[in-house]
Amino acid sequence: MLSGKQAGSVLFAASLLLFSCQSEGDEGLMDITYRFEKPANFPEPTYTFENNPVTPEGFRLGRRLFFDPLLSRDGSVSCSNCHQQGLAFADGPQHPFSVGVDNQLGIRNAPPLANLAFKREFFWDGGVTHLDFVPTNAIENELEMDESLANVVDKLNQHPEYPALFKQAFGVDTITSPYMLHAFSQFMVMMISANSKYDKYVRNEGETLTDEELKGMRLFEEKCGACHSGELFSDFSFRNNGISTTFSDEGRARITEHPSDIGKFRVPSLRNIARTAPYMHNARLKTLEEVLAHYASGVQESSTLDPLLNDGAQLGILMTDEEQAQIITFLETLTDYEFIADERFQNTQ
Amino acid sequence: MKRYSYFIISLLVIILFSACEEDEGGTAPTVSGALSIEFDNYVGTQPMQLDPEGSTDYRYTTGAGQEFNLSTFRYYISNIKLEGPDGASFEDEMNASANADEVQGYYLVQEGDPDSYFIDLDEVPVGQYNKMTFTLGIAEEGVQEGAAGGILDPAEGAWFWTWNSGYISLGMEGTAADSPQERVERDGLVTEANTFQLHVGGWKELEGNDNMVNNIRTITLDFGDVVTVGQDVKPKVHLVFDMLKILDGAAIDFSQTFQVHAPRAAVPMADEIPGAFTVDHVHQ
Repeated sequence: MLSGKQAGSVLFAASLLLFSCQSEGDEGLMDITYRFEKPANFPEPTYTFENNPVTPEGFRLGRRLFFDPLLSRDGSVSCSNCHQQGLAFADGPQHPFSVGVDNQLGIRNAPPLANLAFKREFFWDGGVTHLDFVPTNAIENELEMDESLANVVDKLNQHPEYPALFKQAFGVDTITSPYMLHAFSQFMVMMISANSKYDKYVRNEGETLTDEELKGMRLFEEKCGACHSGELFSDFSFRNNGISTTFSDEGRARITEHPSDIGKFRVPSLRNIARTAPYMHNARLKTLEEVLAHYASGVQESSTLDPLLNDGAQLGILMTDEEQAQIITFLETLTDYEFIADERFQNTQ
Repeated sequence: MKRYSYFIISLLVIILFSACEEDEGGTAPTVSGALSIEFDNYVGTQPMQLDPEGSTDYRYTTGAGQEFNLSTFRYYISNIKLEGPDGASFEDEMNASANADEVQGYYLVQEGDPDSYFIDLDEVPVGQYNKMTFTLGIAEEGVQEGAAGGILDPAEGAWFWTWNSGYISLGMEGTAADSPQERVERDGLVTEANTFQLHVGGWKELEGNDNMVNNIRTITLDFGDVVTVGQDVKPKVHLVFDMLKILDGAAIDFSQTFQVHAPRAAVPMADEIPGAFTVDHVHQ
């Protein structure tokens, strides 16, 4: 059908195509480090990637900002102060409440950071509805960084290096707050924790769970799965889990201003939960053993206590000591050691 | 040569005109013109004027007889739509972009900044219009785009609640003789005595939560007349916003209500917003 010459040019064209594919492929390999990919067992992300696609430059800029105390009023506090990678980006047990500028204590336990691209609401009370707005809270909170967004933007514009980094990442000559917040988000959406022993087991990646862990998983689903549901181990609702009878921190009611939400806090994801002690918004429980014991026998009654923890006959969740221990054995399979050691999230300054 | 080009121009003009005629008879017109909206703020019958923060020169009086003045008055307008008696319609393009130059469809009307009183709508299809609809505030679609620039950038003066994400739809601040606010000084930031700060915000409608208050209001106004948007005619719609209707309608008593910074307390004021706008007149 084709003459030799025609076939030759077709081949030539084909090899050109291959070549171009090849070079794209190479770039792709390099870029994959900074490309958002949804883990196979995860739900669809909620983040607005169409407004802020992740780029290597934007991600690195976000990382630099995350570790930079320039964000705080007196240059003493960075995000990483209260969100430490080894602890799955939670705060340490020695800081049950966040410590801000002038050694001020915050009012809640800093939550771990992971899988933020999949969440609809942020913080214990869910007051923040978009990941881009999250850093502003820590920056402007008087007990945390106590700095204004406008001042941070001024400091960045006067900095010897940041203007060039923003130019590289976003093509802008002047730094404005939305670009700073976009850089943060690019860093944060990449904080995906999906390589725990559990994940590799459910994705059939050659990992197996022990009999104890499997027993614990089944018990977990039965006893805890109504709230800690799905692959992110939370239904992201707001519930009063009986941690107290009175609530000086009203939790969700602070946002909805509705009495029926007093004492309700977001059901946290349980990924990396073995690394993120202490537990609950008020850091009252120091170990997972205390957490399970709380649900088994420590639930306290109040008018907004979650109905799932009060069947009318008794408070809490019926669990033997052995069952509690098995559930903890399962929870430990949710620790993602690759995530907490991932070099992409380390301070390279 | 010259005569020849005249001929061509006449021919083009004829073609253009007949194209317009065909459009009117059939599909929507594609030719665009412009329309301008002026926001003119009043306090009762008095044109709004600002005083320095903390000033005790009271220009205004509420229906209940409480004296006050204003130091700041501002609101966001968005989602502007125009409609006509013959089916002409226009929807302003919306874009909450990080790039300030690309922010579209969101407007901040701020007393004391005359440029902000005028919204120029370009790209309005040529035709007749007698009705407009707009949103006071930034609704979910805008907030949930994430960090945005220009008038939506909190570092550039946007009023944004960080603890309960969202823009303050309408803010009024000033001094009222009856406000029990004490003078507060913190880190050089001074809140003067007898001042008030009334902020209307709250946009959330979240699945499975009926407790959340949504204070975003949609305003629909009849022009009371028909204006024609043409290629060379740019009509102007002159709106009046009477902030006293909010204070009196919500029965604001400054001795009780002088600090509002959360959605629920702002509901009575939000409910009065639609009734505070009127079309004063239209210029053809």
